[in-house]
Amino acid sequence: MLKKYTCIICPIGCDIEATVEQDRIVAITGNSCPKGIDYVSQELANPLRNIATSVLIQNGDLPLVSVRLDRPIPKAEIFPAMTEIKQLCVTAPVQIGQILLQNVAGTGANLLVTKPVRATG
Amino acid sequence: MKDQLYDVVIIGAGVIGSAVARELSRYRLRIAVLEKELDVACGNSSRNTGVLHGGFTYRPGSLKAECTVEGNREFDQVAKELDVPFKRSGKVVVGFNDEDMRNILKFKQIGETNGVRGLEIIDKDRLYRIDASAGGEFAMYSPDSGILNPMQYTIALAENAHANGADFFFASEVTAIDNSTGRYRISAGDKCFSSRWVINCAGMNCVAISEMLGISGHQVKGFKGEYFVLDKKAGQYLNIPVYPAPNAKGGFSTHATPTIDGNVLIGPDSYLTDDPDDFAATREHMQGLIEDGAKMFKHIKRDFFIRNFAGTRWKRVDPDTGEILDFLIETRTDKPGIVNLIGIESPGLTCALPIARRVVGKIRDREQLAPKPSFNPVRRGITPFAGQPRERQQALINADPNYGEIVCRCETITKAEILSAINNPLGVVTVTGIKNRTRATMGRCQGGYCETRIAALIQETLGSKETEIRYQHAGSYLFTGKVREDDHAA
Amino acid sequence: MQHKQVIIIGGGPAGLAAALELYHNGVTDILILEREKHLGGILRQCIHDGFGLLRFKESLSGPEYAQRFIDEIDRLHIPYLTDVTVIDITADKKVLAVSKQGLLEFQAEALALTMGCRERTRGAISIPGTRPAGIYTAGVAQSYINLANTMPGKNVVILGSGDIGLIMARRLTLEGAQVKAVFELQPYPSGLPRNIAQCLNDYDIPLFLSHTVIDIKGRSRLEGVTVAAVDENFAPIPGTEKDYPCDTLILSVGLIPENELSLQAGVELDQRTKGALVDDSYQTSRPGIFVAGNVLQVHDLVDFVSAEAEKMALGIVAYLHSDSSQSTHLTIRGDASITHTVPQRVSGKKDFILSLRPSRPAQNCAVQICQNERVIATQTFRKVLPAEMIQIPVAANLLAEAGDLEVRIAC
Repeated sequence: MLKKYTCIICPIGCDIEATVEQDRIVAITGNSCPKGIDYVSQELANPLRNIATSVLIQNGDLPLVSVRLDRPIPKAEIFPAMTEIKQLCVTAPVQIGQILLQNVAGTGANLLVTKPVRATG
Repeated sequence: MKDQLYDVVIIGAGVIGSAVARELSRYRLRIAVLEKELDVACGNSSRNTGVLHGGFTYRPGSLKAECTVEGNREFDQVAKELDVPFKRSGKVVVGFNDEDMRNILKFKQIGETNGVRGLEIIDKDRLYRIDASAGGEFAMYSPDSGILNPMQYTIALAENAHANGADFFFASEVTAIDNSTGRYRISAGDKCFSSRWVINCAGMNCVAISEMLGISGHQVKGFKGEYFVLDKKAGQYLNIPVYPAPNAKGGFSTHATPTIDGNVLIGPDSYLTDDPDDFAATREHMQGLIEDGAKMFKHIKRDFFIRNFAGTRWKRVDPDTGEILDFLIETRTDKPGIVNLIGIESPGLTCALPIARRVVGKIRDREQLAPKPSFNPVRRGITPFAGQPRERQQALINADPNYGEIVCRCETITKAEILSAINNPLGVVTVTGIKNRTRATMGRCQGGYCETRIAALIQETLGSKETEIRYQHAGSYLFTGKVREDDHAA
Repeated sequence: MQHKQVIIIGGGPAGLAAALELYHNGVTDILILEREKHLGGILRQCIHDGFGLLRFKESLSGPEYAQRFIDEIDRLHIPYLTDVTVIDITADKKVLAVSKQGLLEFQAEALALTMGCRERTRGAISIPGTRPAGIYTAGVAQSYINLANTMPGKNVVILGSGDIGLIMARRLTLEGAQVKAVFELQPYPSGLPRNIAQCLNDYDIPLFLSHTVIDIKGRSRLEGVTVAAVDENFAPIPGTEKDYPCDTLILSVGLIPENELSLQAGVELDQRTKGALVDDSYQTSRPGIFVAGNVLQVHDLVDFVSAEAEKMALGIVAYLHSDSSQSTHLTIRGDASITHTVPQRVSGKKDFILSLRPSRPAQNCAVQICQNERVIATQTFRKVLPAEMIQIPVAANLLAEAGDLEVRIAC
C-alpha cells in the first residue's frame, strides 16, 4: 500500500511516499536525508509528537509559564499528558530547562520550562 | 420592589435622548434616562457620517430645516462647552451633468430660503483648489457644514447631563408602560420607574414605545446604509465632505466624508430594512459602495479599507401614501405628560440640541420650570495625548506617568486615557465603550495590539473576571474562562 | 537629546540578532528600544517548538530561541529599554519615544528598524455580517491563551491556513476547544506542510481549500459563520454555501510589515512586500536607515530572520565606516512566477542573499537568476511553496557591472 507523509523533522518538510507491506517499508521516495526514513518508520510503528503548553505559576511576573516536553511522546499519550500537565501549579522563579514534571503520563518524557519567570512581591 | 420616582423619564440614550437630558438638567427636575444597551449611542447615533449639516435639502418651514440651521449656527459654542472635537470643514456637493446642475441649483435656493449662509456654485478649478481629490465637473460649496465625532458628542451630552444630576440606567429596556394611576409607571430592565413625564427618544424603536404609551398610528420606515472606513492614509487626501448631487427628492447616494479623526467614510448607500436591529454589512452592497465611492474620491483603494459598518435611518412616513415626513415632536392633550419624538433621523445629529430645547418647551407649556443654579454647561472629555505639542505631552507624563505608556499604538492612545475611559462617569464598562471614548482599537490593526491590554486593564482596574468582560451588548462575552483555573490556594 | 551610534527599534528576534552582531563587530554604542515589558518580541507567545532547527540544530520553543540572544545581550551588558514606545523617527535619524519617565529624544548615526509585522484584520478583508464578540486574529488569540491565561472560546472555525492559524488550531484543541474546520481561500495551503501535518491531520481537523467565510452571524457573541467555495477569481460559488455554528472565528489571513515609523522617516516601500525597498546591505532609500526581519518581508523561519538581521548589522557597520559609497544601481525583479524579491537593488560588488517566494506551488523546478538575458545562477528544487521562503546566495563575481537582474521559476 502506498502511504504519503510530510516529514516534520526539519523545515524542508519532504513529501515522502512509502510502499508499506505488513507495517514494513519496502520502498521509499521523496526524502532528502535518512532522517526521513526514520520518521516514516516511527510513524508506522508508533507516531511520536512533542507538545508545548502552559503551566499555572504563582507569584510570578506572568500568570503562565510556557513548557514543552524534552522529547516527543506517542500520539496516543498527548491528551493523557495534557491532563496531568493541567493539574500542575508551580511557584516563581523558574528558569529555562527546569524540570517541572518527570516521566509525564508514564512516557519517560520530562516537562521543561521554556521561559524564565521572575518572582514578584 | 419600590418604584424609582422621577419627574421625567427619557427613553433612549442616543444623541437625542442625551441632548434632551442635558437640556432638562438645566432645571430642577429629577431626570432618568433609560437605555436598553450597555452604553449611550448604541443605535444610529454611532452609525452615521458624523456631519453637521447646512440645511439646504429640507423643506422650508419644516422642523428639519429650522433645527438644522439653528444647530449648525451654534455648534462652535456647543463643541467648546462640551469638549467635542469639531471642524467646520465646509462641504461640496458635486455634479457631472445638466440634471445634477438643476438639482443643485434647486437646493441652493432651498438652502437660502432656510437661512443657510454662504452657498456658492463653484467650477472645476475652484473645486480642485478646495480639494484635489474631489471628483466632479462643478459643485455647490457650503462653507458652514462641518464634521464631528457623533459618539463623542453623544457621550459629552450624556456626561454633562449626568454631571448636572440626570441618572442613566443601562441594560434597561422598557417593556411596559402603565398610566392608570396618573403617573407613568415604566418597567425597564429589572426596575420600575414612576414619572410625571415620559419622553420617547427611542429612535429606531420610537413607534414601539409610542404604542406602549398608547399613541398609535405612526409609522417609520428603515433606510439602511452601509459604510466603509478608510485608513488615515486616505484621510490625508480628503479635506472636505464630498457629496454627489442630490436626486430630485433631496436624497444623497454614497458620499466620501473625512472624519474629524482623519479617516475617510465611504457611504452610506440606501436600501430598505424592516428590522431595527439590522446592522449587518452585506457582500451585495459592498461592491456598489466601492464603485460609487470611487466616483467621489479618486484615491480609494483596497489597502486603505480598515472596517465596515451599517446604520439605519428610520424615517417617519405617511401610513397611507408612504411619503417621507418631517420630524415629529408631539404632545397630546388626551395623553398629558408625554412628549413623543417620531422619525428623528438624519439630520438628527445636527438638530439634537434644537430638538431638545423644543422638548423642554413642550414641558414648559404645561408647568413652571425652575432653573437649577448649579447647572454647569461645561464638560471636559478625556485629555488626549496624540496630536499634542511635545511640551504638552511631556507635561502630561510628568503629571501622570500613565501618559507615558502607549496602549493603542496605531492611534497613540495612552494608559491614562484608557483608565479614564474605564472609570467614566456613566459607569459604562464595555470594550466598545472604551473604544468610543478614546479611539483605541479604531486604527489600522483594529485592536490587534491593544485589545489584550485593554482587557487586562479592565480586569485590573475593576476587579472583573475575564468572563465578565463584554464587547458591546449584553451577552457579548469575550472570553469563556481561564486556560488554567487557579484552584490552588497559595 | 541623547546621542547613540545605532538605535534598534524593536527587541524581537531581528533586533536582538542585530544588536549582537553589531557588538561583535566593534559597534557598542547601541540601544534597543522595546515597547513590551520584556525583550523577545513575538517569540514570547510562540511557545510551540520548531524554532532554531537550522541555526541551533535543535527544535526549540520561541521563548527558548529568544532567550539564547537575551542571555548574551545581558552578559555583554548591551543597553536596552523596555516599556518604551517609539512614536516618531525622522530621515536624519532622530528618534522620539514615549516612556513613563517622559518623552525621550535621541539622535542616532544609524537606525535599525526591526518592528516586525501586524495581522490582517476582518475589516481589511471586509467579511460581511454582524460584529459580535468572538472574532480574533490568530496572534491575538495566541496572546490571550499563552500570555494572559485567557480562553477566547470553545467552538472554533479558522479562516486562513497561515502558520499562525494552524498552530492555533492545535493550541486550542490541546486546551479543550473544538476546532471544526480550517478554510483557506487559495487552492493550496498558506502554511508549512509540517504544520498541516502536526496541527490539523494529527487532530483530524479538516482543511477546505478554495473556501472562504461569506457571512458572520450573532448579535452579541458569534453564533455561526457561512462558508462558501470560491472559483478561480475567488468569487463565492452560489449553491455552495454552508452554515457552521461556532462561538469563535479565528482569522489567519496574512501578515503586514508594520512600517508606520518607516514612512514617517520617508522610507520608500515596495508595494508588493509592504516592506522597505532595500539594497544588498539592507539599507533603505534613506541613508543610514536599515531594516531586517518581518518589517522588511514576512518570514516563515526565525532562523532566516536572525541571519538577515546579522547581515543588516554588517551593512550598518560598513555604513558607519563610510564604506558603503557603492551605488546600488542593479535592480532585481521577479516575473509573475515570483511574488517578491529582496533586496530590490544591489551594487554588484558584494555577495548577497536573494530572498524570494514563489507565487504558486510547483514541483521539480529551478529558480533562475538572469542578468542581460544570461542565467548567472540557478538552483533546483523538488518542490516550491508560497509558504516557504527561498534564499539563494549570489556571489558578487557572478554579476556584471551593468544590467538589471530578473528572477523566475522555471518548471
